[in-house]
Amino acid sequence: MTDHILEADNVRFRYPGAGEALCGVSFSVRTGTKTALLGANGAGKSTLLLTLNGMLRPTAGEIRFHGKPLAYSRNELRELRRRVGFVYQDPDRQILAPTVWQDVAFGPANLEYDDAKIRHVVKEALGQVGLAGFDRRVPHHLSGGEKKRVAIAGILAMDPDILVFDEPTSSLDPAGAADLMELLDEFNAKGTTIIISTHDVELAYHWADQIILMNKGKVIHAGTPEEVFTNPALVTSSNLRMPAVLEVYTELVSRQMVKKTQSPKSVLQLVSSLEQNFSKPRAERALGTITVCDVDATGSDEITAWIADHPGFRRGAMGTRAKTLAERKSIALDFTYGVIDKGILWALVGEYSVLLTPASMVPHVYRRVDTYCRESGNTIAVIPMSTKTRSRPSEVIKKEDQKE
Amino acid sequence: MLEDLLDDVAQNSTFRHIHPGTKILLGLGSLLICLVSPTPVIPLVSGIVISLVLLIPARVSPLVYAELLLAPAIFTAFSIVVLLFMLGGGEIIWRFSPVYWINLTITDNAIRQSELILCRVFGCVVSLFFIALTTPMTDLFDIMKRCRVPPELIDLMMIMYRYIFITYRQAHEIWQAQVMRLGYSRVKESIHSCSTLCGMLFISSWIAGEDLIHAMDARCYNGKMPLLEEPEPVRMRSFVPVLAYLVALVSLLLMIITNTVVISP
Repeated sequence: MTDHILEADNVRFRYPGAGEALCGVSFSVRTGTKTALLGANGAGKSTLLLTLNGMLRPTAGEIRFHGKPLAYSRNELRELRRRVGFVYQDPDRQILAPTVWQDVAFGPANLEYDDAKIRHVVKEALGQVGLAGFDRRVPHHLSGGEKKRVAIAGILAMDPDILVFDEPTSSLDPAGAADLMELLDEFNAKGTTIIISTHDVELAYHWADQIILMNKGKVIHAGTPEEVFTNPALVTSSNLRMPAVLEVYTELVSRQMVKKTQSPKSVLQLVSSLEQNFSKPRAERALGTITVCDVDATGSDEITAWIADHPGFRRGAMGTRAKTLAERKSIALDFTYGVIDKGILWALVGEYSVLLTPASMVPHVYRRVDTYCRESGNTIAVIPMSTKTRSRPSEVIKKEDQKE
Repeated sequence: MLEDLLDDVAQNSTFRHIHPGTKILLGLGSLLICLVSPTPVIPLVSGIVISLVLLIPARVSPLVYAELLLAPAIFTAFSIVVLLFMLGGGEIIWRFSPVYWINLTITDNAIRQSELILCRVFGCVVSLFFIALTTPMTDLFDIMKRCRVPPELIDLMMIMYRYIFITYRQAHEIWQAQVMRLGYSRVKESIHSCSTLCGMLFISSWIAGEDLIHAMDARCYNGKMPLLEEPEPVRMRSFVPVLAYLVALVSLLLMIITNTVVISP
């Protein structure tokens, strides 16, 4: 048994009457990881993605899903397309029903679920993408970001093992794109494998676990983002550019302003490597803390009350549910993207912050801060929001004990 | 942009939450009564009452409503002029005969008939507008299913409904791109641009159709289009007034009919 959920072995594809779009592509994707197919326009990303759920059949080579080569019979394809969810770049191409509910219910209805189950999965899916209550809205009245979410909900409702996104953030504004990527992180935290195609190097660099660099229908390199982006030859040969953080870092290293260690993935990591060179000794500086609030388990009134009691705290929100809650309760947010990193950055300068997160992302906050603390030698406390009615999870108490 | 206007008004209507059946009952009921009424009073009353309902509780903008009524009004005005001269019977009220072979007359019967037709048109158009302005297409699909319209037909209508807006937007974008490059500056230019627009729309619709099949395939299409079958419940608060109104209209009609029977020789 292999833990590779998807493998491509020397896949070739030719559109009728055109040159080869894929010339022998091989790669593999591990279960539960985030993979970015990175390449310039016309590199063959979309074609490759379409072969993954059997929409295109390779002219040669084979694709294996859970170790089994794809079969192209009608029934097998239906099952494959249920398990490999494909989200188109243009949501207008994917949304085909007159109302949001009908569109999300399209997949489940065709999978012959019974009515009660259809209702249930549609409600779940709409809730997950933060569009609860949009049932009767019509797609042409929705914003670009909302349409994208409807398209995603339509796929989620079929409960796929892998989510495949063709250019997920194109046509979204920066805030919308950050929101969407957070949503993908949320799915990933629940164990869904995610594959995206993109030419956004910044996005691929900090988001992906694995990058598959493509050019002219070939895979040039498959590996971690650090591997790909610290090799300038690879980056330029595929018509891309270096991520800004990495570029600044390289310049700083060449001026010996920071020591060359691990390449920073975010502003936070860049700042902390700078701090290690320049800052005063740790002991003199008091660090702030990060308070985590699970919006799924805490009442919105309790949250509002807590925030009113703690006016000096910086406020951040992750995920749509938290952001909607903040909007509904008119809680002004100081940051809405890269929230955990921002929290750490504020803590480093002695500020306190509170993060509103969905339940599935709470462990992620602890992990992220833990990793940072281990790497940097700083200790930043993560505290759960304690409202009177709520008992603390044991894991959190342990963390606090450790701190003390 | 009347094309999305009608549906937009219905989607945002304050009557959106009322069961579509109730609204259709009011619309079709008053339409039928207006059609059978032998006197102009009933359609006139019905038209005014429903217009007031549309303007005040349903909050349809008066401007939009006036604009909507304008089209049938112009059409009816022309027809009435023709009818006035065409219909005959009764006393001649006005005659226009400049030469012996032109003889235009208006009789009192023609006036009565035209009056009736004018009021009927008004009453019926308003009844239909009531449905169009308060019940979005998406709610009508559900009603159609209940009325046993074949599902194949409803599925087709739903897909067409979805693509009307996509195609309309595309047409608008192409048109803008043409105007930006002075596409409609002269008559010859206009004909050329318009035909290009139609051609482009045809090609893009063709491609959209192929994309649609792929999109359906990618989502395991097996011949089913789901329909959300939980409209708002029929509420007494809206159903009772509608019923009361229709009953009142019918009784008014009966009263007038019996009166006329008594009065006229």
